[in-house]
Amino acid sequence: MNDAQLVQQVLNGNNHAFRFLVSKYQRLVTHVVGRIIQQEDELEDICQEVFIKVFKTLKRFRGDSKLSTWIATIAYNTAITHYRKLKRRGELSYSEEPNLILAEKDPGLNQKSIEKEEAKKYLMQLIESLPVNYRTVITLFHLEEFSYKEIEEITGMPEGTIKSYLSRARKLLKGKIEKVARLEQTNIFVDYV
Amino acid sequence: MYNEDRNFDTDQILKEAFTSEPEFKLSENFTDLLVEKVERRFAWAQYIREFLIYLSVILGIMLVTAVLAFVWYDAKIENWLSFFTSNAALVVGINLLVVFVLFADRVLLRYFMYRASTE
Repeated sequence: MNDAQLVQQVLNGNNHAFRFLVSKYQRLVTHVVGRIIQQEDELEDICQEVFIKVFKTLKRFRGDSKLSTWIATIAYNTAITHYRKLKRRGELSYSEEPNLILAEKDPGLNQKSIEKEEAKKYLMQLIESLPVNYRTVITLFHLEEFSYKEIEEITGMPEGTIKSYLSRARKLLKGKIEKVARLEQTNIFVDYV
Repeated sequence: MYNEDRNFDTDQILKEAFTSEPEFKLSENFTDLLVEKVERRFAWAQYIREFLIYLSVILGIMLVTAVLAFVWYDAKIENWLSFFTSNAALVVGINLLVVFVLFADRVLLRYFMYRASTE
């Protein structure tokens, strides 16, 4: 079933079609909302709100863009509104730069793969500590594989800004991971306090 | 860039981190809860819409009747106004009762029955 057929089925009141739509785009919405809000307790409610908005406004979807882009736009706008509200109320916690955490040793993994896993974990924590615009474009570009044009449509940011955020985030993270690598020459299993 | 000290390629690990799933998770029954919520809202909106349609039809019939009374039966507006003002409580009461019965029949009862059937 393509997107146009799916939309038509949902508009006809087919509950199974709506259920299918939710399952199909749940991952996208969770990633976009989660990366912006970063609060587990708010995530579910905001994702619900996104899909209710999708359901209510689906008749306005004309198919000019992909359904995923359209849903991502709703998710982004909803999440960013909540983010601003939480920020105004001072309910957002900003994490400090993460420390390397000692991983549980898995006998099946060799030293190289443990190091890689640790570095990846560390990077993922660093991604979460980036400013919201950086996190959003990283998620949309790398994780959801949207094009610059689509990200522009979703976020309203100009293409140049998107490219700049991506490049700066990459440079920043690369710099940090290389700094850690320089600091820790022989053993990665050290807590940096 | 390949980092000899770390035994891994930073570009590669960066790419992997960017494309790795974040740890945000929704509950197992997220879709069920959402669909149920949407169905309820949809049902509620549908019942309200039907109630408004019924109400409009009743008001339309009353309006047509009033127009006919003026055109064919030479009804006087002053007589009607004096009737309404002298029996204001009764007129308002009957109207409210009719609207409530219609609302209860078309919206409340149907909604509660729908909820009972889904729970």
